[in-house]
Amino acid sequence: MRKTLLFLTAVVFITTGCKKFLEQPPDNRAVLNSPEKVSQLLSTAYPQANYMPFCESISDNVADKGIGGQERTNIDPFHFKDVNDDQEDSPEFYWNACYTAIAAANQALAACEAAPDPENYQAQKGEALVARAYAHFMLVTFFSKIYDAATASQDPGIPYVLSPEKVVFANYDRKTVQYVYDMIEKDLTEGLPLIDDKLYTVPRYHFTKAAAHAFATRFYLFQKKYDQVIEHASQVFPNNNVAAGLRPWNSAYYIQTYNELWARYAKATEPANLLLVETQSVWGRNYFSVRFGMEAVLADIILGRNVTGGTWVFNYQLYTIGTNNYMLPKINEYFVRASVNAQIGYPYVMVPLFTAEEVLFNRAEAYVMQNKINEAISDLNAYAGTRIFNYNPATHNITATRMRNFYGASNVQLAALLTILDFKRAEFVQEGMRWFDLARLKIPIEHRDVDGWRSTLEPDDPRRVFQIPDKAKMAGIEQNPR
Amino acid sequence: MRFTAGHCSYNIRVMKLFWISLIAAAILPTLPLTTKAVPRQEFKITLQVKRTSLSDVFSAIHKQTGFIVFYANDLFNDKDKVSVNFVEAGLDEVMQSLLRGRSLGYRITDNYIIIIKAIDKKKEGKTSIVKPVPQATADTLPASRLKGKVIGKEENSPLGQVSVENLTDHKGVFTDAKGEFVLQVQPGDSVRFSYVGKAPYVVLYRGQSFLNVQLYNEEERVLSEVIVTGFQNIDKNKFSGAATRLKADDIKIQGVTDVSRMLEGRAAGVSIQNVSGTFGTAPKIRVRGATSINGDNKPLWVVDGVVLEDIVNISNDQLSSGDPTTLLGSAVAGLNANDIESFDILKDAAATALYGARAMNGVVVITTKKGKAGKIAVTYTGNYSSQWKPTYSGFNIMNSAQQMSVLAELERKGVLGPNILDRANYGVYGKMYDLMNADENDEFPLINRPEERKKFLTRYALANTDWFDVLFRNNFMQEHSLSVSSGTDRSQSYFSTSYYGDNGWTIADRVNRYTLNYRNNYKFNDRLSAGFATVGSVRQQRAPGALARNSNPVEGRFDRDFDINPFSFALNTSRTLTAFDEDGQLEFFRRNFAPFNIIHELRNNYIDLNVIDLRLQANLDYKLTKNLRYEFVGAMRYVKSTREHQINEHANMAEAYRSASTTSIRRANRFLYRDPDNPEAEPEVVLPYGGFYNRTEDQLVNFDFRNSLNYNKTIRDKHTLNILAGQQVKYADRQNFSSTGYGYQYENGGTPFIDYRILKQTIENNFPYYGMSKDYDRFVALYASGSYSYDLKYNFTGTVRYDGSNRLGQSRRARWLPTWSVAGSWNIDQEAFMQSQGLVDYLTLRASYGLTASMGPATNSSIVLRNINTRRPYLSEVESVIQLANLENIDLTWEKLYTTNLGLDAGLFNRRLTMSVDVYQRTSFDLISLIKTSAIGGEPIKAANYADMKSKGIEVLLNGTIFKNKNWSWRSTATFGYNTTTITKADNNPRIFDLVIAEGGNTVGYPVRSLFSLQYNGLDPYTGRPTFVNQEGKNSSDVYLQDDAIEYLVYEGPVDPTITGGFSNTFQYKAFSLNVFVTYQAGNKIRMYPAFKSSYSDLDAMPKEFYDRWIMPGEEKMTPVPSMLDLLAQARLGGSYPYNNYNYSTERVARGDFVRVKTVSLTYGVPAAWLQRARLSMASVTAAVVNPWLIYADKKLNGQDPEFFNTGGVAQPIQKQFTLSVKLGI
Repeated sequence: MRKTLLFLTAVVFITTGCKKFLEQPPDNRAVLNSPEKVSQLLSTAYPQANYMPFCESISDNVADKGIGGQERTNIDPFHFKDVNDDQEDSPEFYWNACYTAIAAANQALAACEAAPDPENYQAQKGEALVARAYAHFMLVTFFSKIYDAATASQDPGIPYVLSPEKVVFANYDRKTVQYVYDMIEKDLTEGLPLIDDKLYTVPRYHFTKAAAHAFATRFYLFQKKYDQVIEHASQVFPNNNVAAGLRPWNSAYYIQTYNELWARYAKATEPANLLLVETQSVWGRNYFSVRFGMEAVLADIILGRNVTGGTWVFNYQLYTIGTNNYMLPKINEYFVRASVNAQIGYPYVMVPLFTAEEVLFNRAEAYVMQNKINEAISDLNAYAGTRIFNYNPATHNITATRMRNFYGASNVQLAALLTILDFKRAEFVQEGMRWFDLARLKIPIEHRDVDGWRSTLEPDDPRRVFQIPDKAKMAGIEQNPR
Repeated sequence: MRFTAGHCSYNIRVMKLFWISLIAAAILPTLPLTTKAVPRQEFKITLQVKRTSLSDVFSAIHKQTGFIVFYANDLFNDKDKVSVNFVEAGLDEVMQSLLRGRSLGYRITDNYIIIIKAIDKKKEGKTSIVKPVPQATADTLPASRLKGKVIGKEENSPLGQVSVENLTDHKGVFTDAKGEFVLQVQPGDSVRFSYVGKAPYVVLYRGQSFLNVQLYNEEERVLSEVIVTGFQNIDKNKFSGAATRLKADDIKIQGVTDVSRMLEGRAAGVSIQNVSGTFGTAPKIRVRGATSINGDNKPLWVVDGVVLEDIVNISNDQLSSGDPTTLLGSAVAGLNANDIESFDILKDAAATALYGARAMNGVVVITTKKGKAGKIAVTYTGNYSSQWKPTYSGFNIMNSAQQMSVLAELERKGVLGPNILDRANYGVYGKMYDLMNADENDEFPLINRPEERKKFLTRYALANTDWFDVLFRNNFMQEHSLSVSSGTDRSQSYFSTSYYGDNGWTIADRVNRYTLNYRNNYKFNDRLSAGFATVGSVRQQRAPGALARNSNPVEGRFDRDFDINPFSFALNTSRTLTAFDEDGQLEFFRRNFAPFNIIHELRNNYIDLNVIDLRLQANLDYKLTKNLRYEFVGAMRYVKSTREHQINEHANMAEAYRSASTTSIRRANRFLYRDPDNPEAEPEVVLPYGGFYNRTEDQLVNFDFRNSLNYNKTIRDKHTLNILAGQQVKYADRQNFSSTGYGYQYENGGTPFIDYRILKQTIENNFPYYGMSKDYDRFVALYASGSYSYDLKYNFTGTVRYDGSNRLGQSRRARWLPTWSVAGSWNIDQEAFMQSQGLVDYLTLRASYGLTASMGPATNSSIVLRNINTRRPYLSEVESVIQLANLENIDLTWEKLYTTNLGLDAGLFNRRLTMSVDVYQRTSFDLISLIKTSAIGGEPIKAANYADMKSKGIEVLLNGTIFKNKNWSWRSTATFGYNTTTITKADNNPRIFDLVIAEGGNTVGYPVRSLFSLQYNGLDPYTGRPTFVNQEGKNSSDVYLQDDAIEYLVYEGPVDPTITGGFSNTFQYKAFSLNVFVTYQAGNKIRMYPAFKSSYSDLDAMPKEFYDRWIMPGEEKMTPVPSMLDLLAQARLGGSYPYNNYNYSTERVARGDFVRVKTVSLTYGVPAAWLQRARLSMASVTAAVVNPWLIYADKKLNGQDPEFFNTGGVAQPIQKQFTLSVKLGI
């Protein structure tokens, strides 16, 4: 009997030792136990999905070529329909990527909070907050009505997620656009000062101070808070040396081959690229070949006459592939093979999320809206200096009169705004940025296809708001009206 | 078994007054002492009765053997009830069992078995101290000298040192080296012969002067059948679970090395699908069908009480993938089949309860052989096999002339123009255009004139290359196994070693395997015993250099680069191509822009696999008290496998990296380096010399310890109580390492030449050139089981187990899981009302219910973060980052299963017919399903416990002796298993592609792994391309396979068969035994081989149905075979893949039902007389054919094996095989 007892004691002893024994993680998973590791996690706190395809396809930058690549992410937005695809380049994929980024940010924030020495995690906290704000901002821009101070507190927003999800199905609340904007502002203003550029190994893929300010310019522009736009924009151009930050289209870009330009456009060494992100996307291989894209007529409209009277240098890098497929060598594909020798794999596109050009345009628009036309013109001239072929300040200088004449508008503010929009349209063609202006300013868009279908997206058309993925219903999220 | 009164007359009851020796004395003089012609071991008795009287048992023995049992009524009460369970037991075995515990001996003469008084050792010991009282007659009768000789029956040689004892006066002598002895005896004395390892033998002295005695080996006897669960050995009549015990000798297929394949059709409810026949790959094994949707469905393998952990975990889909990892798929590939004693397949919750949280998929317990006390027994088994070469006659492939006419059509359609020279791959036509170009001397090897071209093409049109002949051979497989068993009462040892060698069915394969098994058991004293085992194996295998495949849902197919699997090559390569040119030299065509010849490639591109598997095991058994036993089992296992993929510098795979002869090739060759920093530069060769040396290593270190206490008590002979409680700890660490070696120069002294840019290329492509990962498995369990049995009539068992594991992640909440089971059985035959009938020998009703579980494929009870490298094009921009792989799931738990089982076992007509029927219903829940979430939490698709499943089934086992007499017998065994599953909840949102692939997919309301098809809607009348109901329900050629609109798909059936079974017949005539074993399966559907493509090249082999292809409008009404597209039509396809879709349509599905003759084997047991002359104890010769005939399969399959997924890589179909097997015992 004594032996039995001895044995039983041994059993008890062994079972208490089990706890430690079972603490062993099942694989080599990472543990967030240092600021460096939290930083590493934050590298994935950026939405790794490309909005260019559906934004470009819904915009007025595209028309029906009659033939071309058939992609749902191109066909459906063109027809103002909900995109029937959840793979790369679709709105649903983008939705997923934003929330995945948010989850990483929230996980990082939780690690910062749980750390015994939170003071060492301040920069990480800053990046996490700004990244979280950015992803939510992009979501609310696509999946809710565009911010309108009058209705924002009634318009349904998108779920603003503040903590890591720990159950399989959690319920969320859309709340309102106003709530989402408030939260974004809170995160942005709290996070921005904490950011420390020195900690980044590849700064251009992270929210540096400059990138965060660039984000702020876009954010406040949507809210029409022009003072903040100008203030933040000035932080991006510290000595107001604007031209040095822009893409050297007139010099370096102009003389390059398309292969070289492709390789360079979305590179971290380009000063204009304030924030880049890697996205899984086939846009790089089909942005010019899809059926609904930039064809001859639109190329002429977008890259033709302009207010300076000069020629866009873009035209010297404009290629046609096959018939009617117009291409600017901007979007390069990086192909990650499924295995070393595989023929299949994952196509990637590096997307510039914020560029110096956008900041400049945002500031110019803010100036215009504040009726500081001269400041706006100064910014526009700085831009034109880098984009007009054989730029000559004497002949190509933009003035208020010139703008009024070009647009036949008596209101210089309107003429300046139209100039900015056209410049932006040319600058960002095939990059999807046009949609942000079309959405923000509720500009009508008319599409027609060769089969006779036509439709116009009116300013308050519910189809302007991308549809929230069907599956979000599981979390108690209502879809947008159709 | 009941006897009619008439039978009792044979059972001669001797009046009490008669003394047995007198009777014996009266009879014996007329008989020789040893049996003559027929050794008594040849009389086999099968007797399975419960609580029957001894006299009835003796009647049965008389009936079965002809021996009459003689005994005096004062020796014992022949009304004593006994329960016996003999199957094919020898006469000695039966008698020893029956008389065990009674101080009686017996002897066997020609027609009689005489039971006599023996004195057991203990009493004898005591009596020898006290001088025995001499018998009254002792003084008066003169003592006489008995001379004799003792021979060991099995050795057939004299035995020295045999103790010969006169049981009357307890005086004894030993035999000398010649086995001879002289002993003082008086008539009427009993003389006992005893020798270690031999059954004691008692003889009555009646005055003869010389005594010839043969001693027989003491067989390790199993009085009643038991079920080995790995934790306990339980008497079958007290067992309430569903389990099948198979003796290895009964099911062994000579020449088949993988023991898991031997279970096919042998146990009802166990389905074995030979998805690949390559050595080392595992068949798809399901015990009672699938229990899990995304998790493993393979059973747990247990060898001598220790779970056999997998070296690498291979998922359900991977099994049939042909990937090189599958070579490590079989858990039992290192076991020598000859070492195996038996299999126990545990099926329901009660049987598997002690495996608790790992038992959901059933358990297969393997018991290996042990050493036996006695003289050294040496057994040699040799198998010599050869496999048939496959032939085209079984397949539906065009011959070269037919193929050439199709190529001519393709040429007319513009598909085979001179521009194919820019293609990566070409065959005959490409070669022709190449030769029409000027060579370096500005001469034209082939003049571009119609007659010259015709002449050139004619050679290939007539080639009719038999690729099977080129790539396959009738190989020679040899298996030699030697075992030595020896031992004494106190220690036994079993040693075995084996060699298996196969020089390869294809020119790319060969295998050598060596095994070692050394087992020792020691009995230190009455209380303490221990056992140690060392089991090891070494495997060296060569396989074609294959890479893992990639799924390509875009085009709807699987891709495998550089596939050189000989079987798929032979089926897919045009027979117009030739392996040798007119001069007998290897002839090359182009693949990957480089010259390619399959023979050359297989010589230069291969995988060498080496596996070392070593297991040390110790058991300890200590009797604490009379009823309480402590048991310890501990095992350590170490497995290391190395896969060396050697790609020689001349291999096509290496040459492809160097192919840059023209600008267009440089542009198109994806193996050249493109510098991202210099986008205008031409792609460059970065592997100027050498090939590749790619190495993958898998390692497993596994410890498993178990402590248990077993309490056993029988109260007043009626109540039997058994309690088992214990604790178990498991530890398994796995490590995987892989590396790619660039520029290894196999021929230049093995010096690597590395262009740094090839590393740069690899890294820029986001592929680290080496990798290592570790996997830790920690497992703790507490268990207890109690069973109570009343009067052998009613049995109850209850088991609880509490498992803890680290596999779910670090959360403490998810870690522990209790499982349990309850079971009861009723031995109806023991009831009084059953005693009066004679039809039913035994009848048992069983019922069980319980919960078991299994670890699902999710580890995120705490958050899973993984380091990755960002996928960015420039190295200066790449960061090592941490990715959120899986969010925390606080509710994560194990996959669980409730099983209800009802079973009935019966034996009828004196056990000539036995049967076992089980019906079961199972509810799987908390299964891991890949479900789409709102994504708001940050993980769009989560693996969570969100699926449920129901399954039910029936299993029947019938075993009957159809005919039997002294020379002839015919025995049949039939198994039948039926199982259906239905997914009742999944939320998994599959895409079309997931459901139409050959492996099937999972969706709610359908069985696990259901096959769906696109509804084929006829051919387009203008182009002859196939049309389908697409994802929008419309008629179209274009179906978006990645769409999740699955409502327009057609359900075909499950991929796994619903009905499986086997039918075995053994005919015996004297020393010959013929076994014919047929297996069958039904109820499943098979996706046919994907033969259709949008474009064909001059390399492709086409099936003959292409003859009936659509050529002209109007033919769409006659044929479902789509057209071949011309160049323009190919270009117009845009992004659609109608021909791949056709492969996934209702047109390309066949029934999976088949009936197959699995084996036919003829065994000849060499007669005893010859054996004596050859000084052997045993010898037999077997000739067997494996898989000789597929009796029935769907005609649509046209030669495609219904079990085999032709996925390339290292996969091979199961082969037709002939084996000659020799077994010798010394």
